[in-house]
Formats: sequence, C-alpha cells, structure tokens
Amino acid sequence: MILPDYYEFCCRVKIVAGHDALEKIPDLLADMGAKKPLIITDKGVAAAGLITIVSQALQGRVAASLIADNVPPDSDLKVVNQLAQLYQNNACDSIIAVGGGSVMDTAKGVNIVVSENATDLMAFSGAGALKRHLKPLVAVPTTAGTGSEVTLVAVIKDHDKHLKMIFTSYFLLPSVSVLDSRMTMTMPPFITAMTGMDALSHAMEGYYCIQKNPLSDTHSLAAVKMICKYLPIVAKNPSDKDGRLAMSVAACLAGISFSNSMVGMVHNLGHATGAVCGVPHGICMAILLPYGLEYNMHKCEEAIAELLLPMAGEEIYLKTPKDQRAQKVVSLIRQMNEDLNSITGGRHARFFSEVKDRDGKQMVPRDVLPQIAKAALMDGATIYNPEDSDYEDNLMVLEAAWEGKPFDRNKMKKG
Amino acid sequence: MNLAAGFAFTCPFKTNSGNRALEHLPVELSDLNAFKPLIITSLDLVGKKAIRTLTNAFGDSGMTLGVFDDVTNTADLNIVEQIKDIFTKGQYDSIIALGGDVVVDVAKVVNLAVSLKVTDARQLSGETAIRNPLGSFVVVPTAAVTGMETSKYAFLNRKPFISIQLMPNLVILDTRLTRAKDGKIMAEAGLAAFCRALEAYIAPDKNPFMDAYAFAALRFIRENLITAVKNSSDKKAALAVANAAAMSGCAVSNTGRGVLNRLGQVFQDMVHVHPGVIMGMCLTPVLDDYMKKDSRLISVLLYPLTTDDEYAATPEAKRADGAQNALRKFLDELYGALGSKMPRNLKDAGIPPYLMDDIFEVISREPDGDYLCTVIERAGKSPLKA
Repeated sequence: MILPDYYEFCCRVKIVAGHDALEKIPDLLADMGAKKPLIITDKGVAAAGLITIVSQALQGRVAASLIADNVPPDSDLKVVNQLAQLYQNNACDSIIAVGGGSVMDTAKGVNIVVSENATDLMAFSGAGALKRHLKPLVAVPTTAGTGSEVTLVAVIKDHDKHLKMIFTSYFLLPSVSVLDSRMTMTMPPFITAMTGMDALSHAMEGYYCIQKNPLSDTHSLAAVKMICKYLPIVAKNPSDKDGRLAMSVAACLAGISFSNSMVGMVHNLGHATGAVCGVPHGICMAILLPYGLEYNMHKCEEAIAELLLPMAGEEIYLKTPKDQRAQKVVSLIRQMNEDLNSITGGRHARFFSEVKDRDGKQMVPRDVLPQIAKAALMDGATIYNPEDSDYEDNLMVLEAAWEGKPFDRNKMKKG
Repeated sequence: MNLAAGFAFTCPFKTNSGNRALEHLPVELSDLNAFKPLIITSLDLVGKKAIRTLTNAFGDSGMTLGVFDDVTNTADLNIVEQIKDIFTKGQYDSIIALGGDVVVDVAKVVNLAVSLKVTDARQLSGETAIRNPLGSFVVVPTAAVTGMETSKYAFLNRKPFISIQLMPNLVILDTRLTRAKDGKIMAEAGLAAFCRALEAYIAPDKNPFMDAYAFAALRFIRENLITAVKNSSDKKAALAVANAAAMSGCAVSNTGRGVLNRLGQVFQDMVHVHPGVIMGMCLTPVLDDYMKKDSRLISVLLYPLTTDDEYAATPEAKRADGAQNALRKFLDELYGALGSKMPRNLKDAGIPPYLMDDIFEVISREPDGDYLCTVIERAGKSPLKA
C-alpha cells in the first residue's frame, strides 16, 4: 500500500444502496429535518417511468412531491433560477435529484440559490465561495457511470452570456446518494456499456493519476473488480437486479476515487472530443482508456499492473509474467470493448472512426483530430496526468484511437 | 459480500495526511466556515511540544486560538461543562482535539454540548437526541491513540455516547505528531486499529465502501507496524500506522461492534488498560473460534494480510490456514520486537485479581457474555508465544 508524502481524501456523502433503497428516502429526509422535497429530473428519466417508481417509494411518507422534469441535457442558468423559484413558492425544504450529470449539476445550482437566497449565482462560483451547509440534497443516479452523485463540482451554463460557471465546494456534495437497482434496470445495453466504461475509466485513471492515495486506491480496486465482473453481465442481461446494483455501487466507488485522485489523459482527450464532435462522454472514455494506460505506462507500470488481479482474477494474474501484467490490463480493456461491441450488435464503438450519430454519419472525421488535440491543451485534466502531454502526443494518441491500433510508445517524448 | 440485502455507509471526515499537514488547517477551517477554534488537549498526556507544533501551524493566518490543555485521564462530564463555559464565553466557533483517546472523547462531548446549546453539560447522556450536524470539529491525533478518535463513539466515565454526528469533519495526520519514542505506544495503537479493521473486514454486514477503509488499514498495519515499533525514527511507518488508526474508526462506525472491540473497551473503561493490549491478547482465541465456526471468514483475510502475489498463488482451500499463519507470524514478530514491554497475558498486564472479578461481572452482562468470558479466560492463561 503506497503512502504519499502528503494526501487529502474526502467523501462526506452518505451512501444508501439496495434493491429497495428508494423506500429509505423519507426516513433519510426526516433525519435531516426535511419533509417536503422538490424532485428535479429530466424528461428522459420521467419517460422511462423512473419518477413513477420514486414517487411510489415516497408515497404517503413525504408531503405531496413536487416534480420538475424540465432539466435540459446541458445545464442552464435559466432553468436553475426557475426551479429555485418553484422551490421557494412551494416552501420546499429539500431536493431529490433523479438523473445523470446535468440533473445533478442543476440540482446543486438550485441548492445554492435556495440555501443562500442568491440572486446572482455567479457570486458563488469558483472554489470555496460557499461557507455553510446547504439544504438536504438526495442524489438518485439513473446511470451507473458518472459518479456525479459523489462529486463536489457543479457546472452551470449561462447560455445568454456564453459563460460556463464552475462551482466547487464540499458543501455541494449531496447529503445522501441513493443507489437503487430499479433506477438503472431499463438502461439499454449500449448505454449500459458506455456508462460502465466511464466508471471503469474513473476507477483506473484514479489509480494512476498523481493525487492517488491509499483510500482512492482501495476504492478503485474494489470498483475495477466489480465493473469487470458485472458490466458484461448487465450488458447481456439488463434485468439482472444484482448485477445492476453492483454496477451502481461500483460506479459510485469509482466516482469517489477519481474525485480525490483526479483524472488524466483519458478524460482530457475525452472532454475535448466531446466538445469538438459531440461524442457521448462514455464512448470517449471506452475508446481512450487503453491509450491513457499505454501513454503513462513508463511512469506507472507498477500501478497499472496491480489492476490485473481485481480485473481478471487470480488465475490470469498468476499466468501473466510480472513484466507483462500492465500490458495485459490494456489488452483486457480492449477485449472488454470488443465484447461490448458484439453484445450491443456493434453499437458500442471500439475506436473513433466507428462512432456514428443517429443518422449513421461518422461523428469524428479524421481531419478534426488536430482540432481535438489542440482543444485538449486547454482542459484542466492535463494537470493530473503522470506524463506531461503536448499537442504532438495528443495527436498521436488520437490517431491511434481513431484507427483502433495500439499506441506506439516508442514515438512519444518521455519527460 | 451480499449487496442485495442493502446497506448504508458514511464517513463524514476528510483526511489530510503527511508532511506539514497541519499547515493546511487554517484553510480547512475556513472552508468549514470556522475562524476561531478552541483547542482541547492535555499538557500531561500530549505534551508541550505537540501543542506548540499545532499552534505554530496557524502562523500568520490571523485566526484567534483558544487552548484548553487540562484534560486528564479521569475526565468526566464536569470537565465538559467547564470547557463548554470557556467555549461559550470566548465565542469560539469550532473545536480542535489534539491527542488521542480521552482527550478526543471529551472534545466530542464538548462539541455536543456547545452545538445543542445545553444549559448544563452534566445532564448529557447517551440518550440525548442528536439529529442535526454538530459544530465544526477537527481531530489531530498524536501517536498515542486508540483508533476510536475518528469513530462515532465517545466514552466518558463509562458512559457511552454514540452518533454519526460525533465523528469529526476533518482528521489531520501530521508526521511531526504521529511518531512515538516508545514502541509500545505504537504497538497499542496499531493493534487496536488492526483488530477493529479485521473485525469490520469479516463482519457479516460489510459493504464495499467500509471495506475500502478496513482493507487499507489492515495492509498498512501489516506492512508498517513492526517497522514503526522497531524504529521510532521512521516517520513514514508511523504515519501509516496513524492512517490505519483513523481508517479503523470509520470502519468500526459502519458495522456492529465486534467481540475484540467490546472487550478492549471494557478493560479500558474499568482499569484504564489500552484496548490494543487486550485486543492483541484476545485476537488469537477469537480467530480460532471463527475458524471453527466458518473457515471462509478467515480465508478472506489472506488478501489484506499478504501480498497480491502470495494471495493469488494460494488455492482457495488453503487460504484460511494461510491467513492464520500470516497472522501468527506477524504477531510473533511484533511481540518479539516489544519484548517484556508488552504484556502477553492478563497476568502480565498487572490487573489485580479483585478487579478481574468486576470485569467478568460487566462482561457477563453482555448478550454473549458467557462467550466473552471464555475468550478472556483463554487470553489470560495462554500467553502468546514470541
């Protein structure tokens, strides 16, 4: 177990998990002195029938639930303000956020406005501007991937002013995260696959990025073991209840890991690819993960090799010679992508040239790779990557990931 | 691990660990919206040097500090009342507990008293309802800890206070404070942390989140405790033991109290023997019983108690024996390094027989009292071999 000269670790979110975890929400709210929640969600979540399940779990045990399902896919300051108004007009005393990243961001933004009586959300942006406990916020994730139910960041966009406001504070952490297998049961296989690979990228990047520490490590190891075991199972059989619960727990563990040890190149290039081409985040993570490991291999081979045991189990670990274990981890990730590709009938893309939009159009044309490589230089995740990346390296990695060829490590500059 | 049964987990404290970790304290406090902390400590138990290291860390932060350094081993609710008055009159807004064991127990109950704004702290009891988060509370452990500092438990004068809200918001492990000159102090803390983490690791209600703390604690102790005991100048080994102790407090707060944990507490309450001493003695008989009951419980221990390679190379059927052997080897080496400093049975611990009668009486009141008594009897008679 590695003990760094200095580290910090924090996850103050209470975790409640189970097949009937939603039913615990009324008691959890009561413990925090709350009884009238505003449920924040989006249309997709509501249409999937998930809000019905949540409402049934709350029925008769909290004051009539107020549901707002108009969170857009991209967080929006106007919606934040409108929902805050709704909260105040109805004298709500807590928030239940049911959904993915954008819903969580919006709920956190609403929580700042209603707790601080803020008229200008901007005044609370940046790090450490919040100074006290906010209203109780219960996070109910509906994918097993982002880990946003345990992160302390919120991103709210002001589309009028073309501003992206970033809020960072321990007070933004949800009070409780409720992981219930029913919330992910209806996810189709290809979304299951990409969100699961997103979680795996958190767990693995969290294990080799520069702020890694003993607690982020143990969270990562547990997450890797569970994801590698259960992701193929739930992709094949979406209604596997135990597998779904395990994936939600694993994604949460991975979220805790990466929000403490941070993420590196995989996220760095992934954010840029998402921004330039609109490729869903999970797809970027699945494609880039093996390359991130290859790129950093000369600096973190030992750490990467340690992932083989939780990933593949004792037999494969023992059969693989010590100096090939890190490389084996990389090839097993590629194998996972292959398997998910076949389980999803080809919808889970293995490399960028394969990524298509709804109309079957290629989303990442080869000639935009330089633009992505450049955009990645501006992304914050570069700071935590073990190896310093630059434009040329980014482009090399992206080209390999576009073609689906292993990265030629001899070509990179090692700093 | 059975996830399907459902579980809850919480760890309200942040950990800052390492070189000059204390220098982060002013920023961390202001993040908690605290600017005027009262330090609760003990000149006798903690020492002048540690107190100076802590106060110096505030440098030119501009924060006003108060220091109460008169906590004694026999502290009770009277001292809580006294500190509550100081806190209120001085208009402090947060508490920093510097030290271990009783110092932190007192600080936890003071935090309860000032947060609930009780008129008389002497009226507080384990039944006092605690619903909302309490005031900002930081624990800065020294080497002489029990591992319960970061837990949801406080014991004052044999009275238990139990609530997740009693846990600190922040624990700071600083290399300048976590070393001990005396290997015995290190061993006591390490053994207590080890045994609690071990009980959490094999608890029937364990979950992956709590496991992350228990696993890290077990590996840290196995890899570092003996070094820290043998070499008092090894900063890193001592810090690893301190980390394990802090992690064990989280693990124990998320599961029921195991046999070793409860036995350690009884001896601590009744005769002021460090719980690590008792837990270390009782570990072997308790694990023998687990082994007889269900060897699978013991076989899972091989993973934290050995290296990845050795674990992977041991076939499933041999893991329980492997874990027991690893444990025996570890304890033999540890007790061997301590020599006569660390008692190996109750007789050597110097507990007078008349007090043992009282202890047996208290223990036998537990629901599994008869069993606990047999553990004590076995720990008393069969000295651990060195």
